[in-house]
Amino acid sequence: MILGFLPVDSFNVIVLAAVFVLVATGLHFTFGMLNVVNLVHGELILIGAYTTLQVQKTTGNVLLGMALAPLLAGVVGLAMERGVLRFLYERPLDSLLATFGLALIIRQVVQFIFSPNPQTVRSPIGGSFLLGGFNIPWWRLVIVLVTAGLLVGVIQFLKRSRFGLQARATVANPVLAETMGINSGAVRAGLFALGSAIAGLAGAMLAPISTLNPQFGLLFLVNSFLVVIIGGKGSLRGLVVAGVVLGGTLAALQFVMSTVLAQILILAIAIVGVRVRPLLGIVREAQTKTTPAASTSASAR
Amino acid sequence: MLEVEDLSAGYGQTTVLRGISFTVAPGEVACVMGRNGAGKTTLLRALMGVLPKTGVVRLSGTDISQRPGHRINAAGMVWVPQEASVFPGLTVRDHLVIALQRRREEEDGIAEAGELFPALGERLGQEAQTLSGGERKMLALAQALIVKPKVVLMDEPTEGVAPVVVEQLIPAIGAAATESAVVLVEQNIDTALALGGNAYILEQGSIVVSGTVRDLYDRGILEQRLAL
Repeated sequence: MILGFLPVDSFNVIVLAAVFVLVATGLHFTFGMLNVVNLVHGELILIGAYTTLQVQKTTGNVLLGMALAPLLAGVVGLAMERGVLRFLYERPLDSLLATFGLALIIRQVVQFIFSPNPQTVRSPIGGSFLLGGFNIPWWRLVIVLVTAGLLVGVIQFLKRSRFGLQARATVANPVLAETMGINSGAVRAGLFALGSAIAGLAGAMLAPISTLNPQFGLLFLVNSFLVVIIGGKGSLRGLVVAGVVLGGTLAALQFVMSTVLAQILILAIAIVGVRVRPLLGIVREAQTKTTPAASTSASAR
Repeated sequence: MLEVEDLSAGYGQTTVLRGISFTVAPGEVACVMGRNGAGKTTLLRALMGVLPKTGVVRLSGTDISQRPGHRINAAGMVWVPQEASVFPGLTVRDHLVIALQRRREEEDGIAEAGELFPALGERLGQEAQTLSGGERKMLALAQALIVKPKVVLMDEPTEGVAPVVVEQLIPAIGAAATESAVVLVEQNIDTALALGGNAYILEQGSIVVSGTVRDLYDRGILEQRLAL
């Protein structure tokens, strides 16, 4: 997995934890909140990475590419939601198949345009600094800081903004939200576009520390789902805990064992995590969401 | 003025309501009564756009029958569902803010909810999920009434509520009925009598008897038709 791209040092524990959280945050919106088993999440990350690559090629400006990446990924996400997925919210199996198909299409289009050959994106901030005897690349510090900033922004946005309030209401009980005057279709579209844009940003941020090929997004898909599920679907706080635990453990394990073995252990931890998760109390938020309220849609006549 | 003409609705292939027609003017209460399964709740859900329907629903002369729920709400029709559902994680204040939807000054609306039901005013910062059943009914009613709607659809607002709370709810419903048209689903004859207005008795999805609540009661028809 992405381990191969990262050197092993203690700061790497923090970086990998941040990467796990960064790639999973977009999925929090599309899967955690909207309940779409979003297999196209990895390809939205891919779009972000290749947008950055293309802008670097044509203008030489990597940062401009990173600014455009979330925009393009957000627009593609919006188009997919309006064009296909909005008809499938009540049909989870169909939406899973649809996102699988969309992912295939995007991957093939990227391969057609950019070739299957590995390519690299230049880091916008080169060089490194010394910390505790380790050489830490500046860009990795930026990834950690951007992830932290993104989390604070997302949490505040959902908590304080009018859209955030409408989104939380729509997710909790779409029928009641609609009859209270919330355009639930528009809110869902907005959430999907936002999740897609964040996935695009993740792709752009990670492109300089990776080697790009059309399979790039797949690397993050499984780990994103692990983080969102273990954190308790719909809980950002849980997502952060799960991201830090899984990413941090994965990085730490590399000190003592091979990459492949470490990944196997992480999957084992994830399976155990899913089993005992309710005991940890991180999912209180998510669990309460599913208790009494959804009843409006299923009430007696 | 709410005008309903030849409304039919159901769930999937099953038709529950057939050929329902009635009108309610502002300041009037229309009591929809009937036994369990007669289609009372289905009628409110169909009017609110939750269920697909045929027929015509006009609000102040505008046909709103094919609008989605949020646009029916925007046209001035609000719904107090039977379960008094709340959004988990959202406070009482959040619920009122959502209901107001910028239609009037937020703080005015929230203050009015507090005057209507002081118990709510004291709990604005509390998560609505932690309210008691009676307080949830108050919240659902407050959400509906503070927006000054043209039509309020109420589904058994006093059902399962302690008598002391019912004493607070009925005047609030009565006050709403001075400005709005109220469609009230009610099984409790005493509540229907307290609010007056016209009664429409549903049986198997059709209106079988209509008249004023008082007249139907005096003639023994209410008891006869609603007896379990």
